[in-house]
Amino acid sequence: MTTEVTTETVLARVSDLIRECIGEEWALDVPIGMDTSFANDLELESIEFVALAEKLKATYGRRVDFAGWLAGMELKEILNLRVGVLVEFILSCHSETTTT
Amino acid sequence: MSFRDHNNLTFHIQELGEGPPVVMLHGLFGGSMASWYFTSAPTIARTHRVLLYDLRGHGKSARSRTGYDVATMVSDLESIAAEFSTRPISLVGHSYGAIVSLEFALRNPSRVHKLVIVEGPLPPSQVKEFDAFRSLSLSEKAASLPKAVREAFTRGGRQAERFAESMRFFLRESSLFDDLRAASDIADERLATLHCPTLCIYGSNSSCLPAGERIARAVPRAELVVLAGGHFLQVDAGEPLTASITEFLNG
Repeated sequence: MTTEVTTETVLARVSDLIRECIGEEWALDVPIGMDTSFANDLELESIEFVALAEKLKATYGRRVDFAGWLAGMELKEILNLRVGVLVEFILSCHSETTTT
Repeated sequence: MSFRDHNNLTFHIQELGEGPPVVMLHGLFGGSMASWYFTSAPTIARTHRVLLYDLRGHGKSARSRTGYDVATMVSDLESIAAEFSTRPISLVGHSYGAIVSLEFALRNPSRVHKLVIVEGPLPPSQVKEFDAFRSLSLSEKAASLPKAVREAFTRGGRQAERFAESMRFFLRESSLFDDLRAASDIADERLATLHCPTLCIYGSNSSCLPAGERIARAVPRAELVVLAGGHFLQVDAGEPLTASITEFLNG
């Protein structure tokens, strides 16, 4: 049994995980969409980004190689990431596993 | 694994990858495991089992008013390393984390396979930057920080609030600066007793470079690599830093 994997479902799941990482008092005020910037809009601290990465690992398992994806990126790129880029990455991991 | 108790304190610990065990330690004050997690760690984790932890009082590890002296932080590492692996481990430390790694290796020679010292200051109390930093006003403090941190700080809002709060804690409520200043040097004769392969990586513009040259001279199997950059080599020279560490660990 699988849940349908769409941009909407992944964005909703990722938004929940982000809210868990940054804490209620801030998270409630900030709308999270595909264009939301981790650094500028959410002001995610780097250590909270670690927490998010770990939650993604727990949620999506080995199918989403978050650490491997980050290894190919410059620190600057990571800091400037938008939520949508992460969502697209997760979607691309799912399409790879279903087509192979 | 995420939160574990060691030395009566709760530590935030993460693991990446599979293979021979490596522990990576970050630097003090603004540092956390993120300084490795988003830089060299993912690449090293392709061939190693990497453990990252937030030093006491840092990142998501519990705040601690005391215990920032090298001996206590080595005993934190001893406890964490013992739970992580019974095999000899390789250690990669930045700044004060490098000195903790070095002291761990001196005290536990059979536990260490290889040692990477990135920008470790010697004597550890040789922190002119820190002493100067402490005497600055809050806005001057902010201005002297690395660019990325400074930008976050000047933007205001949530990150700035958190940062100011953590700075206030370390300066006013913890023994961090006193512990740092009380830290004694490691004599050349002691450095000469270290026999594991050791790689010293320092920045060409860093005030810590003389320490790297000294360690590389005194430790029998040490080599020195100088990369273009300052103290924060993960930011200034990310790629060559990762390449140097990986090549040394895989070699």
